Amino acid sequence: MKELEKIKRISIVSILFILAVLIGLLTYKRPKNTYAINTEKTLEKITNNHFFITLENINTPDYVLIDVRSQNEFEKGHLEHAINIHTPEILNNSAFFKELKKSNKIAILYGENPQQVNIPFLFLYQLGYDNIKLLTVKNSYSQNKLITKTCDIEKLEADISAFINESVKNSKIKVTPKKTIQPPKKIITVQKKKKKAPEGGC
Amino acid sequence: MGPLLPNDIIPFEWSSIIAIVIGIFFGFILESSGFSSSRKLAGVFYGYDFAVLKVFFTAALVSLIGLLYMDYLGYVDMSSLYVHPTYLWAAIIGGAIMGIGFVAGGFCPGTSLCAVAIGKIDAIVYVIGIMVGVFIFSELYSVFEPIYTGYFYGNITLVDSLGINPYWFVFLFTIAAVIIFVLVDMIRKRVKKVFY
Amino acid sequence: MINRKLVKFLSFRYVILALLFIILAGGLVLLPKFEKQEGIKPEQLLSNIISPERYITTDELADRIINQDPSLLLIDLRDEETFKKYSLPNAINMPLKNLFDEDSSAFLNQDAYDVVFFSNDNFDADQAWILCNRLDYKNLYVLKGGINRWFKTIINPPHPKENMPLEAFKLYATRKAASMYFGVAYPDQVKTNVPKRPRPTPKKVITVKKKKKAPEGGC
Repeated sequence: MKELEKIKRISIVSILFILAVLIGLLTYKRPKNTYAINTEKTLEKITNNHFFITLENINTPDYVLIDVRSQNEFEKGHLEHAINIHTPEILNNSAFFKELKKSNKIAILYGENPQQVNIPFLFLYQLGYDNIKLLTVKNSYSQNKLITKTCDIEKLEADISAFINESVKNSKIKVTPKKTIQPPKKIITVQKKKKKAPEGGC
Repeated sequence: MGPLLPNDIIPFEWSSIIAIVIGIFFGFILESSGFSSSRKLAGVFYGYDFAVLKVFFTAALVSLIGLLYMDYLGYVDMSSLYVHPTYLWAAIIGGAIMGIGFVAGGFCPGTSLCAVAIGKIDAIVYVIGIMVGVFIFSELYSVFEPIYTGYFYGNITLVDSLGINPYWFVFLFTIAAVIIFVLVDMIRKRVKKVFY
Repeated sequence: MINRKLVKFLSFRYVILALLFIILAGGLVLLPKFEKQEGIKPEQLLSNIISPERYITTDELADRIINQDPSLLLIDLRDEETFKKYSLPNAINMPLKNLFDEDSSAFLNQDAYDVVFFSNDNFDADQAWILCNRLDYKNLYVLKGGINRWFKTIINPPHPKENMPLEAFKLYATRKAASMYFGVAYPDQVKTNVPKRPRPTPKKVITVKKKKKAPEGGC
């Protein structure tokens, strides 16, 4: 009889345990959006791969133009056959991007300038949509018409040290001390090591 | 408390309270399953009762499998769990000393305190012995220090150091555990029963 | 009195539990594997990256450099060659490629400094910022417009036209003074009151370490 009493207790505990597991499983929700590549891989890919595209090369049926500006801007004027997906709305349109990837089409993002497109581009890239390219254009309005111009990214526009030296020469002041930008010293990383020998054991 | 305290999900001040609550439950279950009896504990070594072995093996397996499932589903991040650091020779020597004490006294430190709580005299003697041992160790700490802090291998786990897939490891470990349970049961049937 | 079937079933309880264990452990082996991804949730990342809070303007930055703000840490994401030609004072060169090198994380994953990324414009800097934000690094900023705007506004500020408001002239005066601080000389300069730049002091970076409490174990 004593054995049976024990069984009763064990079964109560096991029912509770199973219940806890069931509740855990039922309340489980699969995260809707997940990253496909980690940050290091992303960095490696964006620094090595070429993902820019210029205005001349976009007239291929495989390409889908996507305008990441707001709807307001889009209605004022946009490129031909472009679809408007504003950057904050990107996650609501993930089905669309999935479809594009399935049908082997390449999405071309453009916006006001490349810097603006950069943000949704890199975001989508991390979610695993590597079928996207970035159109290097600048859009502006002139007399109510959208003007699209190709522009450069990360191009140094002026030689600053030359400019400074020039200005020093022109100023006719001899005593101006010549300034050289000193590279700062190497920073010594101080890593706090927190080692605490934990006591314990049975 | 795993990932809950360091991430401030539970405020730090609660840790002692949680520890007390868990400790009460732990002691209650230990006592109610008869672990405060030194005969039951020593039974593992004499071969007439393997409850201790089965209980601890099962506990390890349940938590291991449960953690891996929770990690898989994203409830718990395994990498943020605390892993006890390995000091190889300190662990080996300490384990041997504790094993001798275990056979001789019939308690492990946790169960001895549990037995003190229900007023067992042998457990009280045992705990006094622990205190004496602690005193000797701390007095001679400078002698033991090189071995106590030496041979440090970092916070490694068996899976890390063997470099195998944790899932396969758990699977093999489970099968090994079940086989051990069966073997142990066979041994117990052959050994003369001891009533206590 | 006692349900015999139940008793019979329960006599197998150890076998059943053992089987349950093996099935659960086997399930782990059979589960479809996927690569774990680090970082904050994509939804959170998206709302972070569309907010313009990360930008710091060239005027703000110039002001902070001139006031020798000790909490400022400038990171130049361009390659070494352009970095050597010209860079902001006391900037650290860390080409975008090397962003996640081992010794870089000490600069990025810390909470002692306000780290400002800059490149020629803010394209590369934004990319670096997005990746670091995903890893939940704190106190990171991006110089809006990068070096190009730095040149246009601080080093070579445009002269305001006659019909511009007074603020434009004031701004021009500040910018001109700032550019003098950064080494530009003007023909109408009365004297060379360029303040001596203090020697850059090496900065100590303290990496944020996740708190790990040693829990007491025991059986």
